[in-house]
Amino acid sequence: MRDRQKELLELLDKSGANLYALLTRLTLREDIAEELMQELFIKLINSRSFDKAGNRQAYTRRAAINLAFDWRRSRKRNPLRLDQIREPASNNSSPLGKLVQAEELDEILNAIGQLKKVPREAFVMRYIQEESYDYIAEQLGKTAHHVRALCSRALNRLRNTLGHNQSQSFVKETNNVKK
Amino acid sequence: MSKNDENQIDHRLKILSQIEPSSKATDRAIQRVRDALINEEKSQQGTSPRIRMKIFKSPITKFAAAAVLLIAAGYTVGRASAPQPLDVEELQATLESSLKASLEPAIRQDLIVQLNEQWQSAFAANSAQLKEELHQQVRCDLTEFAAQTLAASGTLTNQRLIELVRLIEAARIRERQQVSAALEQIEQEKIQLRNGLLAVAARTNELLSTKQ
Repeated sequence: MRDRQKELLELLDKSGANLYALLTRLTLREDIAEELMQELFIKLINSRSFDKAGNRQAYTRRAAINLAFDWRRSRKRNPLRLDQIREPASNNSSPLGKLVQAEELDEILNAIGQLKKVPREAFVMRYIQEESYDYIAEQLGKTAHHVRALCSRALNRLRNTLGHNQSQSFVKETNNVKK
Repeated sequence: MSKNDENQIDHRLKILSQIEPSSKATDRAIQRVRDALINEEKSQQGTSPRIRMKIFKSPITKFAAAAVLLIAAGYTVGRASAPQPLDVEELQATLESSLKASLEPAIRQDLIVQLNEQWQSAFAANSAQLKEELHQQVRCDLTEFAAQTLAASGTLTNQRLIELVRLIEAARIRERQQVSAALEQIEQEKIQLRNGLLAVAARTNELLSTKQ
């Protein structure tokens, strides 16, 4: 037990900040990310799969991704806290712009959540964590080629999902206008 | 999907990848996890549920527990359904003597302990009561003494004041007498001076008439 604790504390020192950033990106809320990070490590301390895992760091990261998407699925449309989002890429700093952007990010994250487990992990690592294909392949225990294919398929699916959603919302809006 | 929409997805993914939590929040989260890990480890040391789970998950343990339960149930049923003993009085006497032998010293010991406790508690209560009474008595005495001292000091002050007034009065009377004596003396000297002046005037008249 003490060894496990020591190992987890080392893991926390080594990749705690990265895991927290990942959870914040996937939940868009720092407080929830904090909760989930604690939950993650508490689960790991009692996990048998963690013992069996060859690459513990990769296992932890995958568990964090799954935990974040589980939270997204389980929550019931809570209002997003905009102050939690640090958004350096956009010039649009007005409240309305932030609201729109938060909705957009939420939408794309929900779409990512609909992907299957392994493609989702690969996709998150590639497009949200911006890791190289080789690194992702090493983490997932697959070849770089396979990871590339997984990411490509996931991106296509994401495009279809978002396109479908947008066309649906467009039809709704049109119907509203007609009424 | 149009090229524009694809660019939008890329843009959103880029934004997501650039979200960074504050360093303060990161430190807080890491510290919280660290504390949770340490607490979790402590709590698990206290109860060791994994060992217990392992024991209870073992099929041998389950079988042994079931066997023990069966035996206990059989024994209870057997005891309940067994015929009553014939010599009840003898059994009662035996039970009585054995119970007496086993319970008497224990009861005696228990009684002694209880008496001791009662004495101690009574003494403690009495001592507390005595303490309280003494305290009250001392307080009353002190209050009375303070009142008496105050009254005595008031009387003494009054006497001293009266004496002072008397002394002042006597001094004033003496002063007045001295002043009146001095005034009287001045008056007599004034009369003597007048008489003297009259005598001088008469002599001067006499002298002038004799010269003429």
